[in-house]
Amino acid sequence: MKKAGSAVSYLIAFILILMISFLLPRLMPGNPLMAIYGEEALIAMTPELQAELTQRFSLDDPLGTQFVSYLKALLHGDMGYSYFHNAPVFDVIIASLPWTLLLVGLAVLISSFLGIILGIESGYRRGETTDKVLLTGLISLSGFPDFFIGILLLLFFGAALGIAPLAGAVTPYAGKTGLALLIDVLHHLTLPLLALVLVRITGTYLLTRNTMVTTLGEAFILTAKAKGCREREIRYRHAGRNSLLPVVTAAGLQLAGSITGALFIEIVFSYPGVGSLLYNSLLARDYPLMQGILLMTTVVILLANYMIDLLYTRLDPRITYSR
Amino acid sequence: MLEIKNLKVSYNELNILKGIDLSLNKGESLAVIGETGAGKTTLSLSIMGLIEGHCTGEILFQGENLLSLPEDELRLLRGRRIAMVFQDVEAALHPLYTIRQQIIEAILVHGEKDRDFAAEHTRQLLARVGLDERRGDSYPHQLSGGEKQKALICIALANDPDVLILDEPTAALDALTKAEIINLLRKEAKERITLVITHDIDAAAKLAERIAVMYAGRILEMGPTEELLEQPMHPYTRGLLRSYPNMTTTKDLQGIPGRMSHRVEGCPFHTRCTQKIAVCGHDVPELQKKNSRYLACHRGGIIPLLEVKNISSNIDKVEILHSVDINLYEGETLALVGESGSGKTTLAKTIMGLFTAKQGEIFLEEKPVIQRKKEFFERVQMVFQNPGESISHRMNVYQAVKEPLDIHGSRASESEKQEKVKKVLDEVELTGDDEYLKKYPHHLSGGEAQRVAIARALVLDPKLIIADEPTSALDASIQAKILRLFLDLQEERGLALLLITHDIALARKVSDRMAVMLQGTIVEEGPTSEIVNNPLHPYTKCLIEVAPTMSREISEPLETNSREEDHETETDFQKGSSDSQQNCPFIRRCPHPLPRCFQDKPELKTCSVHRVACFRHTVHWPT
Ligand SMILES: Nc1ncnc2c1ncn2[C@@H]1O[C@H](COP(=O)(O)OP(=O)(O)OP(=O)(O)O)[C@@H](O)[C@H]1O
Ligand code: SF4
Ligand SMILES: [Mg+2]
Repeated sequence: MKKAGSAVSYLIAFILILMISFLLPRLMPGNPLMAIYGEEALIAMTPELQAELTQRFSLDDPLGTQFVSYLKALLHGDMGYSYFHNAPVFDVIIASLPWTLLLVGLAVLISSFLGIILGIESGYRRGETTDKVLLTGLISLSGFPDFFIGILLLLFFGAALGIAPLAGAVTPYAGKTGLALLIDVLHHLTLPLLALVLVRITGTYLLTRNTMVTTLGEAFILTAKAKGCREREIRYRHAGRNSLLPVVTAAGLQLAGSITGALFIEIVFSYPGVGSLLYNSLLARDYPLMQGILLMTTVVILLANYMIDLLYTRLDPRITYSR
Repeated sequence: MLEIKNLKVSYNELNILKGIDLSLNKGESLAVIGETGAGKTTLSLSIMGLIEGHCTGEILFQGENLLSLPEDELRLLRGRRIAMVFQDVEAALHPLYTIRQQIIEAILVHGEKDRDFAAEHTRQLLARVGLDERRGDSYPHQLSGGEKQKALICIALANDPDVLILDEPTAALDALTKAEIINLLRKEAKERITLVITHDIDAAAKLAERIAVMYAGRILEMGPTEELLEQPMHPYTRGLLRSYPNMTTTKDLQGIPGRMSHRVEGCPFHTRCTQKIAVCGHDVPELQKKNSRYLACHRGGIIPLLEVKNISSNIDKVEILHSVDINLYEGETLALVGESGSGKTTLAKTIMGLFTAKQGEIFLEEKPVIQRKKEFFERVQMVFQNPGESISHRMNVYQAVKEPLDIHGSRASESEKQEKVKKVLDEVELTGDDEYLKKYPHHLSGGEAQRVAIARALVLDPKLIIADEPTSALDASIQAKILRLFLDLQEERGLALLLITHDIALARKVSDRMAVMLQGTIVEEGPTSEIVNNPLHPYTKCLIEVAPTMSREISEPLETNSREEDHETETDFQKGSSDSQQNCPFIRRCPHPLPRCFQDKPELKTCSVHRVACFRHTVHWPT
């Protein structure tokens, strides 16, 4: 029941996003082509090309017809043409998307995992030295802005120690394959990933620790102890399991934030992901690419949120009923 | 098997349990009752080894001191040998696992490797507590309170423990579910040691054969359930029972004044006790054995305030009272009921010294009353049936109420006395304005005069009031207020009340015990609820039959038997009283007399919780 309901709401959100990305450039004053392609591209265009584009997007027709042709074009993977890259927008994005997914996905997984474990252990030992050290350490870490951590890492490991590459996702033109390629990818990934994990970990840690502290006071923990459960079982199976719920919710809420975080990190490490792409498109005022990226990221965030929702229903049996 | 010795528990330097001694053998059950914060749950958690505070003393389980056992050994006992069902049913189950998973875990955690066995055992457990097999796959939020409680009981029973601790097993359950759970627990408690912790006296009574009353971390009274509930000896136990709504007692609910505190020197209850003496404030009373009861009170429990022993009294050479025996305890109401002319007022006046007793003794606060001086009247006051006997017609209202203060040399100033007079007048629902204070008795209505008499009796704060039909001149609503006032005084400072009345319905609501008088003898005596619901003496039965109800049905009063010999008996009776000493005083109206009843006068004998003077209820008839 709930699954269907939330799928519908995600669909509605998706359609809204499509409409916004369709309407925004068209509602701007002046030539819509200019809004879509940018002033410079428009100047460079031949009148024939302009006419062809106008016709292709049905720009002279009423909005409804325009929307239909927009959707049709999207279905064919046509998100416009990047004059800067001299390639279709879709192709440009698809080329850098995997790197971002790899970076953000791994960062979310690793930071959540570590944050939860540290949170559980710290919450269980509330007031003890381990807890105090972890708490102070992680809170001071969260005081640094994300790109700052990135720069520090880059300077220390990359520039000073020289043990990490300064830029890129692979060593260019090395023609590596197989295991060597994998190692090379990981080698490039380590620092940006580390930076992103360090940025994200404190939130998860604090949330888990707090829930852990309250959960440990719940009556069912006493029941577990009275059963004769071992400490480890109480910590993970009973209290920890319960502390997972708010973390998952928060992960969904923070996803957009993680992506903007990734943007800065990618720029700092010149990592060839969507973040760097967006940055460059901003510099080049490559409007079609910018719009494509925005549409793509929102869709990705939407998809991820939907998956988290599904995960949550599996984690908390009360959800299906309490709605 | 389970023995607790001088167990003390403190949280952050505050002592919560202050020396508990208990011992329980296999098959025994004990309920610990007491108000919130008394330390009941602390006791159970310290047995489980789950206490966060600091424990000293010993908890011996099969000879091993649990308090000195390392955690991993304790863990092996928990849930396997000693199991507990916790207080908060709604939150005691993990919300994210099914019932079945939680029960299976309880089995597997103690080393069982065979998952199929655990699953099968879980099925049996569910069936045993009466939970539907399919319910096993539900999550806690899908279950009702009773079903959750059953699931928790399954978890506790999973490893067939030797000790079962139940913390408020019936709280928050509706009456029918509660009955079902109690049945289930009673079945499961056999062959184990059961410790029930509850403030629900009904659940305690049904689940345990012994009850311990806990107050501020100490046991104040302990004894067999029925005995303790029928005859509480500690003032606190009585207070608890009086404030517990139930279908057994009939007296209005009464609370206990004040609040419990854990930081009290001396007897923990002394700040709220209405019979405390100097020693209560600095010495802690020991829990001492007294027959089958354990009691911790410097005064040996609720003291008998007034003891009338074997009193006979003559008026004009005619014996009116024949060997009357009654006791009135501190803070208690004893209703003396009986028809007109049975000798109730004579008894009251004999106690007050207005008639001298031909034989027998009277004790006030355990000291014989020989002469009645000022001290006596400061403790005992009487409200007469006829207000004219209480107030002199030469005094106005103010003087009449103030007079006792003057006589008893109260050092209070005139204005303080005036305050006091106005306060008691207000308490009896009379105005204290100057004009009213100047009225003389003949200006007052009967009801008003009676209330002035009551005010006069109250003004000295006596410990005992003997009230002879105090409210018969009042309308029902004022009567209710005056009686409420008496009960409130009883609650606040332990006022004892000897209430003489022929209104059983009224006595039923305000008295703890009832004594029935017939022709100068007590024929039946016992707890009010027992006398009203289960009268033994045929005379009591008729009194109750004609007591006010709110229905149109009427009952026939018992007619004098029209037997042949009746004529003779009647003349005998009228000739003098000596003959009435040779048969039962009820003989002429008794529906089923025995031959003995014509020859002997039955004595007051104990019969269950009653004392009754009737040959039909004398268990062994003397030959
Ligand atoms: N002063 C007295 N002189 C002679 N007989 C008395 C006196 N006072 C009481 N009696 C007798 O003693 C018996 C008991 O009287 P008592 O006043 O004690 O009865 P009671 O139970 O109080 O009745 P009531 O319900 O009317 O108050 C009665 O037979 C009564 O006539
Ligand atoms: S009489 Fe003294 S010892 Fe007994 S309960 Fe009252 S205060 Fe405690
Ligand atoms: Mg009378």
